[in-house]
Amino acid sequence: MGRPTQVKPARSGGNRRDFFKHSGSAAVAIAATPLLPLSGQAAVALNALFQHGVASGDPLSDRVILWTRVSPTNGRSSQVVDYDVAKDPAFIQIAASGRVKTNIERDFTVKIDVARLEPNTTYYYRFAVEGSQSPAGRTKTLPVGVTPSLRMAVVSCSNFAYGYFNAYRRIAERADLDMVVHLGDYIYEYGSGQYGNVRACEPATEIVTLADYRARHAQYKRDPDSQAMHRQHPLVAIWDDHETANNAWKNGAENHQPGSEGTWPARVAAALQAYYEWMPVRVPDTANPQRNNRSFAIGNLVDLIMLEQRLSGRSEQLGTNIGHPSGYFVQSGAYADPTRQLLGAEQETWLFNKLRGSTAKWKLLGQGVMFAQLKVQGAPLSAGGGVFLNSDQWDGYQPARDRVYEVLKGGNGQAPVNNVVVLTGDIHSAWAADLTQDPNNPNLATGGYDKASGQGSRAVEFVGTSISSPGVNDPAGAVANSLKPANPHLKYIDLHRRGYMLIDANASRCVCEFWNVDTVASLSNVQTFAAAFEVLDGANRLAPSVQTPNRANPPPLAP
Amino acid sequence: MSIASFSKVLSLAAFALSGLSALGAQAADFNFTGQAVFNTDRIQLSFSLDADSTGVKVWTDSWRSGLNFDPVVAVWGKTLSGYVLLSEVDDDDTLGSGQGSFDAGLKFDTLAAGHYLVTLAASPNYANGTTLTAGFAFDGQTPVALADWTQPSNNPNTNDQKGGYWSLHLSGVTQAAPVPEPSSWALLVTGLAVAALRRRRA
Repeated sequence: MGRPTQVKPARSGGNRRDFFKHSGSAAVAIAATPLLPLSGQAAVALNALFQHGVASGDPLSDRVILWTRVSPTNGRSSQVVDYDVAKDPAFIQIAASGRVKTNIERDFTVKIDVARLEPNTTYYYRFAVEGSQSPAGRTKTLPVGVTPSLRMAVVSCSNFAYGYFNAYRRIAERADLDMVVHLGDYIYEYGSGQYGNVRACEPATEIVTLADYRARHAQYKRDPDSQAMHRQHPLVAIWDDHETANNAWKNGAENHQPGSEGTWPARVAAALQAYYEWMPVRVPDTANPQRNNRSFAIGNLVDLIMLEQRLSGRSEQLGTNIGHPSGYFVQSGAYADPTRQLLGAEQETWLFNKLRGSTAKWKLLGQGVMFAQLKVQGAPLSAGGGVFLNSDQWDGYQPARDRVYEVLKGGNGQAPVNNVVVLTGDIHSAWAADLTQDPNNPNLATGGYDKASGQGSRAVEFVGTSISSPGVNDPAGAVANSLKPANPHLKYIDLHRRGYMLIDANASRCVCEFWNVDTVASLSNVQTFAAAFEVLDGANRLAPSVQTPNRANPPPLAP
Repeated sequence: MSIASFSKVLSLAAFALSGLSALGAQAADFNFTGQAVFNTDRIQLSFSLDADSTGVKVWTDSWRSGLNFDPVVAVWGKTLSGYVLLSEVDDDDTLGSGQGSFDAGLKFDTLAAGHYLVTLAASPNYANGTTLTAGFAFDGQTPVALADWTQPSNNPNTNDQKGGYWSLHLSGVTQAAPVPEPSSWALLVTGLAVAALRRRRA
């Protein structure tokens, strides 16, 4: 890409320059400190054969992916793995069992798509190698038909180097969740000290090769809090950029230097091979690994539509990284080019058909980058729309975003699409937004938006903060408040805290609760409820809400 | 199943042995290759040992990192009452240089002079018992073309192991030859009959 290689200083913590992203290349390699065994919060009994835990994911009404990884002790390049799936944590009512194999070519990872399961049912599963059993996991299939509620955690941006995954542990403790949705940046590609120095990275350098990506995934999967989350809930995950490299797009990435790191296709192939090996996800298209968009029907209540926004169709970002004033931009020139894509034409068509064809009450879009406008200067569209600061999010692809709005609004013989809730990660901060094309235009008659009533909003967005990646040091909300005048559609902004979102949807409303942990610098059990917003059926705009009750009598957690 | 090629390669050791002594048989290395079509296909090869032998090896090298199906190999000894299972191994890649982790292989420290049978099938189409007449796990199942079959050991991330090519090596045996499977012949004959019938009707 012809960019000069920059040498980055090692960073010690979140600051303004870390505003959501990390810039530059990875030329700094800090000498690796010896890695200590993971300790602290109680892990399940560590089994040397299954030291990367167990996981499940991509549940459907009749099947779910079960995952583990074998650390062989017999020196063989192939391993025989037995599995059991039961309806009870004591494994008395066996629902499925079988024998599979894995091998060194797939890094001894095990992935089973267990079929012929019952809908809306909690199952427990475990693996065995040569008689030695893994920890037990718990998972759940999706419901069919009339579905009264969905309750799930939504997470993103879990940076091992930047801190402890306390939020994962809090999610693991919630027995009443249907699933966990991870919106990407599940791993980070940087070397030790390049982006966080609470914990050292394996390998110590930026990951580029297949062996590198595998080793990094393995390190993340050995984290006891991550293992706890995976063990108790099925995961629905998409990648964002850091599963390959920072600010990835179809043909490159800000943090990829072809001169020293090989070709981009080779790096993507390595990253995705490791991703599919190490993540409990179903591969939508084995012939085209970049294509990762897929959807999940949660009865008649929710269609969960997961998008791929990095590798299959995204045009190159036009600006520099967020946080650099030089990167501020307006919607003109190349930014107004309708041929630039965020999803790519094929996925865009797929999404629009999904939205228009959905008969579910709610259409939840699981995706990476912020859909709502984020302006440093507000202005109506008629006056240019103002000044934007992050060309990596939908702001940098406004014509593509407008095409989504055309689907939401309907017209030209198409019905409007209501009850769309966008779920977003990426930017290490929490936001709730009314989605409108022209938030700074108060005139509803010309397509504007009334910030008091929310009229003019076509959908809503909940952006979740990070599990551990750094936000802005903004404890009193001064920076957040400074953004509000230019962004009347942003009803909640917290740039300071780490945590997760809890989504609770029923036929009448979809609530988002923002939950925060007190620190990621050390292990901690403290979490606090921060705020809740909801969208009522048919309203397409935010309203304040309250904490939702836990479900009564949830199935027991995996022992 | 069809036997596509057959090659016989005398090992250097065998040459040396035969040059030095007229005693005993010539131990030779054989390589058979072919193309399986269905998941139920079973390839059979007979081999013999003119004298008690050490270090007899039987192995595949056709898995090729998932390009082709995952094989399982068994060796049977001929007795008065039929073939008896000596050993069956799904995965062992320590016997030949071209093997991958899901290739199969067997090595016998000692093997008596006599007649033997090698069966090669798609994992997990294992022998049902210790006699050949007990059959195999997939017997009676409707055959599925390997190209359309999701072999239980396949890599779900790549959906591999769709190829039917197989390659079997025998090392240290006196003679070896493919044994046409009766059922394959029967199928072939049936197929020809159907084809002939269709042609007549056309």
